[in-house]
Amino acid sequence: MLAAGGALALGGAGLLTGCGGDTRDGGGGDRFRAAFTSGGSQETLDPHVAPNFVDQARAKALYDTLGTYADDMSVRPRLARSWESDASGTRWRVLLREASWHDGKPVTAKDVLHSYRRAADPETGSPSQVLLSAIDFDASRADGARSVVLVLKAPNFAFPTVFAGPGTEIVPDGTTDFRKPVGSGPFTYVSFTPGGTARYRRWADHWDGAPHVAELEIVPANEESARLNALLSGQVHYAADMAGASVERLRQDGATRLLTAERATAQQLLLRTGRAPFDDPRLIRAVRLGIDREALVRIALAGHGEPGDDLFGLGLHGYPEGLAPEERDVDEARRLVREAGADGLRFTVETSSVDAAWEPAADLMARQLAEVGLRMSVNTRASSTYFSEIRTKGVAAFNTTSTLPVSDFLQQRVRGGAARNQTQYASGRFDALLDRARTTRDERERLGLLARAQRLARAESGLLVWAFSDANDAVARSVRGLRAAPPNSRDWARFDRVRVG
Amino acid sequence: MRRCLLALLQCLVVLVAVFVVGTRLPGDTADVLRGELGTPEQVEALRARLGLDEPAPARFAHWLGRLFTGDLGTSLTTGVPVGDDLGRRAGVTLALGVPALLLVTVLAPLVGTVSGLREGSRPDRALNAAALVLHSVPEFVLGLLLVASLSLWAGLLPATAVGMEPGDLLARPAVLVLPVTVLTARHLCDLARQVRAGVAAQRHGAVAEHLRLLGLRERTVVLRHVLPGALGAAAQQYARCVEGLLGGAVLVEALFGLRGLGDGFVEAVQNRDLPLVQTYALLFAGTAVAVNLVADLVAHRLAPRRELTA
Repeated sequence: MLAAGGALALGGAGLLTGCGGDTRDGGGGDRFRAAFTSGGSQETLDPHVAPNFVDQARAKALYDTLGTYADDMSVRPRLARSWESDASGTRWRVLLREASWHDGKPVTAKDVLHSYRRAADPETGSPSQVLLSAIDFDASRADGARSVVLVLKAPNFAFPTVFAGPGTEIVPDGTTDFRKPVGSGPFTYVSFTPGGTARYRRWADHWDGAPHVAELEIVPANEESARLNALLSGQVHYAADMAGASVERLRQDGATRLLTAERATAQQLLLRTGRAPFDDPRLIRAVRLGIDREALVRIALAGHGEPGDDLFGLGLHGYPEGLAPEERDVDEARRLVREAGADGLRFTVETSSVDAAWEPAADLMARQLAEVGLRMSVNTRASSTYFSEIRTKGVAAFNTTSTLPVSDFLQQRVRGGAARNQTQYASGRFDALLDRARTTRDERERLGLLARAQRLARAESGLLVWAFSDANDAVARSVRGLRAAPPNSRDWARFDRVRVG
Repeated sequence: MRRCLLALLQCLVVLVAVFVVGTRLPGDTADVLRGELGTPEQVEALRARLGLDEPAPARFAHWLGRLFTGDLGTSLTTGVPVGDDLGRRAGVTLALGVPALLLVTVLAPLVGTVSGLREGSRPDRALNAAALVLHSVPEFVLGLLLVASLSLWAGLLPATAVGMEPGDLLARPAVLVLPVTVLTARHLCDLARQVRAGVAAQRHGAVAEHLRLLGLRERTVVLRHVLPGALGAAAQQYARCVEGLLGGAVLVEALFGLRGLGDGFVEAVQNRDLPLVQTYALLFAGTAVAVNLVADLVAHRLAPRRELTA
């Protein structure tokens, strides 16, 4: 039925100019309107509290970060012109480019220190808090107006990844109130209501050149069908986060274009190595060999993805080369299950509707694992509190991670004792390799150490990346200047280069 | 009077039940707000700031105590007074609900009476067919079908209210046509069929026959006996219909990107924002109880001979 609707939409698109009201006014192309899932009425324009994608899109319009991620999650300079460390990797000097705030004042080193100190405070709630807490703020200082020296508590040559981290935006010194925010980004603040529309105006004096559109509106539409219909009928130019049936429909639609970021989401099955039964490495290996990744991609992801090899970051900077693909081996898996004395073992996997692929994937995996002698049942939990629940509950759970730098992922999710390490993997060898990588200045050598650490984690950590799924946004045909880019990267939801009409 | 006390008690029971269920939900506001990326440290800091480390019964007593002084409390997620959130959203839901109620109130008795008086006629068959279709098509699907045909294909009406401020809705009422249609269609049919059944039953009933034998004109029989009886019986269905509209608002608001009370209630539950959830529960329960109370009174007035149980 949806497909039929898509065909109908083709015919209707031309007629809509009469009823779309204000969407096409201003001579076309003056106002760009993008629809996102909103965080609801708790939203703020505080860029350091950026839990959702829409927060990032808004922060990107209003603020700058020191660095930014390329598509492979390597860091490029942005508000910073350059950075370099001393020989030990503890003192980092960052040089700022000439930029100014929306009120005309210059961006200075003091602003950087204030911003990082604020985001490093656990009270603030920045997603990059852990990375920023590596800075010793008592020892760090401004060295001139556009030069800042950040001193770390421990050497880290991979530290610049934090410059592009979410929730590390540079705000003016002293800012704690974001009701009328002043940023240095390509758009200036016009109005905002939490859970409602955010309006921005083009800022002609932006250091990277003025945006092409005069106005930007980021509007909330939590229901996917509402975003889709708003796009198809011309009420918005951009609809974020399309999945499943909507993607199929958009593929057939002539008036819109899909922006598909391949491999954007790492689909994971977390097996808790700190608890029975998965404290037995044979059972982790049995699950790795027992699941059929090709079938999971074909069915649970409807073909929109590719099989994973139990490591995060396929295609990203720092992903090990020459990895042998994971292939299903039912006989070996069954043998391992028997050897572990676990034939017929029952366990429960936690899932939820956070990602539409999880529940079908869980059902399919349960059938696949039954063939190797493991009886997996599925427990569906409430979506808004899913992540806090699986932190402590259960032995197996589904999870996803969007693109981020490989070294950050390993630090934050695989290292022993890390706050987001959910499989309770604790390996002295792995941690030692990460530590050596951090203190290694030569990049090739560092990546070599990271590759060794990853091979270890792949075999032992219980964090199984069974697939990479695509992320889809969609735009109207009339929109130019936007390309498919992975989430968290510079070009994702970057509206300052957009042209309409 | 006794009925009013009972109504108050009903509301209180709902509040306690909602609170108990609310505290049984997994996680709390701090978990939701810090989300996937929050560290336990950050969540603890927020929990303490929100006062969520206090025991649940104490928080409920606190909230209830302030309620009697007219203070609805503040939202855990936003820190703004609950009344502000409700006030902003109530306008949107009223813009949907008032036209919906008017439609149901006027059209349902009209269509029902016509069908009931002319059983088997074309309007009667149309009503039955429409009711059958609307019961077999979920509201969600009905909404998508209407958007696909009337908006995307024919270009007659706006597809969604995405990006519109509450104030814009009344300035451009075309936006409301589809949501109101989806919201009312099924309830309208249900109520009309209830009226129709009542009219038909009354018309063929012994009392009506008796009145006719006494020599009263058919018009008088219908106006003085058939209609009051049928509408009295339908009053309670009408009350259920109002409850249905409140429930339907949740779905319709999501489908069309409207930010009304239904949307707010879903969000409050997802955020585990108990002060807000309780206020919504009080509002919904209060409305339902009040409407039922009125319905009982109306039914009693229209058909005083009947024993009516609440």
